[in-house]
Amino acid sequence: MKSTLLLYRLHLRTMVTKARLVGLFAVGLAALGLGLALRFTNHPETRAERVYTHLITTFGLNLIVPVTALVFASAAFGDPTDDKTMVYLWLTPVPRWRLVASALAASLTIAVPVAVLPLAAATILAGSTSRVVMATSVGAAFATVAYTAVFLGLGLRVRRALAWGLAYLLIWELAVARAAKGAAKLSISVYSRSLLARIADHLAPKNGTSLLAALIVPPIVIVAALVLTTWWLARAEVA
Amino acid sequence: MSGPVTAPAGVSMSGPAPPPTPVVGTVTVERASKWMGPVVALSDVTFSVGPGVTALLGANGAGKSTLLRILCGLTSPSQGTVRVLGQDPRTSLALRRRIGLVAQQENLFEALTGVDLVRLSAGLHDVPGADAAAVDAVRLVDLDPDDRRPVRTYSKGMRQRIKVAVTLVHQPDVVFLDEPLEGLDPRQRLRMIELFARLGAEGRTVLVSSHVLDEVERFGSNVLVLANGRLVAEGDFRGIRNLMDDRPHRLRVRTDSPARLGAGLLSGGAVVGVWVESPQSLLVDTTTVGAFRRAVVSVAAQSHSRLLEVTALDDDLDSVFRYLVSK
Repeated sequence: MKSTLLLYRLHLRTMVTKARLVGLFAVGLAALGLGLALRFTNHPETRAERVYTHLITTFGLNLIVPVTALVFASAAFGDPTDDKTMVYLWLTPVPRWRLVASALAASLTIAVPVAVLPLAAATILAGSTSRVVMATSVGAAFATVAYTAVFLGLGLRVRRALAWGLAYLLIWELAVARAAKGAAKLSISVYSRSLLARIADHLAPKNGTSLLAALIVPPIVIVAALVLTTWWLARAEVA
Repeated sequence: MSGPVTAPAGVSMSGPAPPPTPVVGTVTVERASKWMGPVVALSDVTFSVGPGVTALLGANGAGKSTLLRILCGLTSPSQGTVRVLGQDPRTSLALRRRIGLVAQQENLFEALTGVDLVRLSAGLHDVPGADAAAVDAVRLVDLDPDDRRPVRTYSKGMRQRIKVAVTLVHQPDVVFLDEPLEGLDPRQRLRMIELFARLGAEGRTVLVSSHVLDEVERFGSNVLVLANGRLVAEGDFRGIRNLMDDRPHRLRVRTDSPARLGAGLLSGGAVVGVWVESPQSLLVDTTTVGAFRRAVVSVAAQSHSRLLEVTALDDDLDSVFRYLVSK
């Protein structure tokens, strides 16, 4: 346990860089600005739908949440692989699953507040009901955890994980999963939007899933991604 | 591993591979090969080393770092077996408590201070009294444990030394050091060599790589020589040194009359071969460099040639390795 805590702290110190924080702080501010703009430029009757479509779905679940998770999770193992400090992590007598768990915990410690808090605050500023704010927070947190688990492995396996992750988000999550119903079953975005819609009592998104599926499938994806990352880490060729 | 130098292990690569010899020791490598795509980084390497300091000598790209990475389990051999303290370094977590590696790359966790870095390593290895152990390890390499500067501000020499402290803080039984003297000044080099010798004298197995011949000589008498991924010699350093001294050396002699001087050198028996390279220089092969240097002065005087410069062309490790491989 002590070693996991040490690794957790180390990940936190190494993955939080000024550039990353400034970039994501700017995105958070943009969310707040969008929330305010939606409040003051829309009639109350149309506002709720616009907040849901533009702020929560497009800006929140499609942009802030996955990109924040991608930036930090892919850095957890991507940075040490790039700068070759992975050798010091890999040579520790710590079970590989603990290395992965500490990286996940560190990534979530940063990604959840950075992604969820500005979005929830923007939803409040936009004048949404407490139910929508709660649904937004839960859906965004759920999606952040799932994306983080997936992108941990991506950072370990590929160089330029940020570029590959963005390509995945644009091509799979935003294009293929929306167009094809079968592909939607393999989309974190679809499950998180479905969960959010069910809690907010909003219309389900296109190709959406049931509440039960939205609650069951993402945790399975999270566990599978973490097991796979642990397996990859144990077999990694460390430079 | 001790005694006279054995027959260069890699010279018979064109023929059938020799049958594997049983090896015993703290570190045993049996017929290990490693290839990365079309590149063969290690080829059929077999050796065994026990406690004490063993130098791993080889030119850049000879396969030293690949071998050390395999010995630490950072990568697996494509073929063959490797055991450290009887365990597979690739899979044994318990073994990682008992080995240490000073890696070649410079990067560390840059935001941490030196002592924090060592303390982290101590904590991850469950060292009792990690704080005190970290301070001791930092002092051992002549750094200041109260220095609060982050590692990113460290010079290359300080980085090397803190890497050694990180490696030694959990008192490993087997220590692998990949070019640990790079970037150190002469005094620090001496201190490090003394430290490695002390580790060896304590009964630890220390395998230290270098591409600098004179450096290796100071590590101790046991040496493994890698060239082009092959183990070309192993054993006592003096034996290898003798092999190197006995080989033909090529020198360039600058003179105003190369043909006359070359003829004089040949007739005097100081050289085994002469080539006129240009109107101002000739190349000579000799097996006795010292005797040649003495002879060339008198031959130049006798042949009324002006001697301008004598330069050794192959006094580097690469040529030594080429010679060992070709023998």
